[in-house]
Amino acid sequence: MLKIEKLQVSYGGLRALSEVSLEVGQGEFVAVVGPNGAGKTTLFKSISGTVPVESGRITLDGADLLAVPPARRAHLGLAHVPEGRQVFSSMTVLENLEMGAHTAAGKANWEENIAQIYQLFPRLKDRTRQLAGTLSGGEQQMLAIGRGLASAPRILMLDEPSLGLAPAVADDIFEVVQHIHQERGLAILLVEQRVAEALESCDRGYVLESGRTVLTGTHETLVSDRRVQQSYLGM
Amino acid sequence: MSPYPLWLENLLQTLATGIMVGGTYALMCVGLGLIFGVMRVINFAQGDFLMLGMYAAFYAFTYLGVGAVFGVYFGPIVAAFLAGPIVFVIAWFLHWLLLARVSGTAAQGAEAEGHYAQLILTLGIALVLQNGGLLIFGSWPQSIRTPLSNEAWFIEPVFFNKSRMVAFCVALGVALVLYLFMNRSGYGKALRAAADNPDAAIYMGIDVNRAHRLAFAIGIAVTAIAGGLVAMYYPFQPYVGLEFVIIMYTGVVLGGLGSIMGAFWGGMTVGLVQQLSTLVLPIQLQNTAIFVVFLLIVLFRPQGLFGRSVERM
Ligand SMILES: Nc1ncnc2c1ncn2[C@@H]1O[C@H](COP(=O)(O)OP(=O)(O)OP(=O)(O)O)[C@@H](O)[C@H]1O
Ligand SMILES: [Mg+2]
Repeated sequence: MLKIEKLQVSYGGLRALSEVSLEVGQGEFVAVVGPNGAGKTTLFKSISGTVPVESGRITLDGADLLAVPPARRAHLGLAHVPEGRQVFSSMTVLENLEMGAHTAAGKANWEENIAQIYQLFPRLKDRTRQLAGTLSGGEQQMLAIGRGLASAPRILMLDEPSLGLAPAVADDIFEVVQHIHQERGLAILLVEQRVAEALESCDRGYVLESGRTVLTGTHETLVSDRRVQQSYLGM
Repeated sequence: MSPYPLWLENLLQTLATGIMVGGTYALMCVGLGLIFGVMRVINFAQGDFLMLGMYAAFYAFTYLGVGAVFGVYFGPIVAAFLAGPIVFVIAWFLHWLLLARVSGTAAQGAEAEGHYAQLILTLGIALVLQNGGLLIFGSWPQSIRTPLSNEAWFIEPVFFNKSRMVAFCVALGVALVLYLFMNRSGYGKALRAAADNPDAAIYMGIDVNRAHRLAFAIGIAVTAIAGGLVAMYYPFQPYVGLEFVIIMYTGVVLGGLGSIMGAFWGGMTVGLVQQLSTLVLPIQLQNTAIFVVFLLIVLFRPQGLFGRSVERM
């Protein structure tokens, strides 16, 4: 469905991604792991179009995504849940979710989606009129994911949803993501530094280091790889 | 004779005038506040768009037949409303042609986020509007003559000038409609989202540059309507914008930069300060009083009097 080929991105001459290739199939759960500064967020931003791409191709269902203006990409079924949550802090919880439903698919299925989002995150339901900026970190992450789901996406892109959360809250979030994937068959592209959790749930994964894919494979091959075990899983 | 002491009569009269004048100031400030809140662009040309609004209302009233059709009582109000869409189109076009190149996503990563380029551009637009106005409209002061400005409602012991009262009510109505638009409609909410977090707005599929264009054009149109209303009792020429720019910036800074409701109360306060200063200062110094308030705010309460900064619109 989503296919990235030989993607290259630089910031002012410094290369952040070189020759990165990646694929997400229908209903697949793909994880991208790697240390700080590996280029994971840059990868997401190039998919969404908030960072200029130097060379390479990104296609969605075979169509050139780079030719689509950034603001149109959400309408094609990409939901980007950004690093650091980035909720609209001056707007209420409900308004944030409404902004997620800016896409045609999101508007058409609003009633149904909002009910499901509240079912996944009951804490949001109790706080519909609260300003998003006053939510706790965990609640903001729930809102960011809920806002992504409200667009009725085909691929949910999650950039470090566990960032800055207490382990128990992060576990809850992972569980919900798993649940969404299994129940609805929604394709998921997850970036995480918590490698163990990310690899545990994914179908396939990529290890990114200094802007390069150093390893890729299915869930089984990755968790049994010696290098992954030593550098990331602490075995 | 009036049963009230003269000083009290003066005070009440000044308060009433201050509130009425403040209503129109509030509306212009809301327009400027909307533009700054959404685009983070300091628009030096706002006063000159106000001037355009005055002339748009004037020509609509005199030459487009609004005066003939709606009469001298309702005509000026209709003309002021018409100034909105007319100037909206001009602002939309100018944003598309010029401002979009140095603001919004085009400014991302530019030097100082494009602020230098924006300052120079809006200053340039201001100069072009002033000189173009001089060329097209002439330097002779104009006004929209209506018998309302010579009539008053009298509620013991205060006179309410009819043109000012009507301008006040219309300004309040327009500000209320804008408030509802921003808080209830899908477009308005998308504007607020684009103001709050442009990157996240793009991830939601909101076209941030279009949102900026809409905010700019609405902000200008609202200020233009305020101009059309003021034109009922205030003579104007192509440089009149300069007199109002200081009022608008003081109001917006008073209200807390970026807060639209704050801008409303800020503008209201400026009207009151301006009128009340005439009780103790010579009338020529009324705009100096506003400037002093501006400086005091910048020095002691840069986040504004009313605004919860950018947190809430
Ligand atoms: N706007 C920017 N300007 C310049 N360099 C940048 C910019 N954004 C990212 N970089 C650089 O690009 C590289 C990749 O950054 P990126 O944010 O993609 O890493 P990441 O894998 O998401 O890291 P983390 O796990 O810490 O979030 C880093 O070296 C970073 O310093
Ligand atoms: Mg990152």
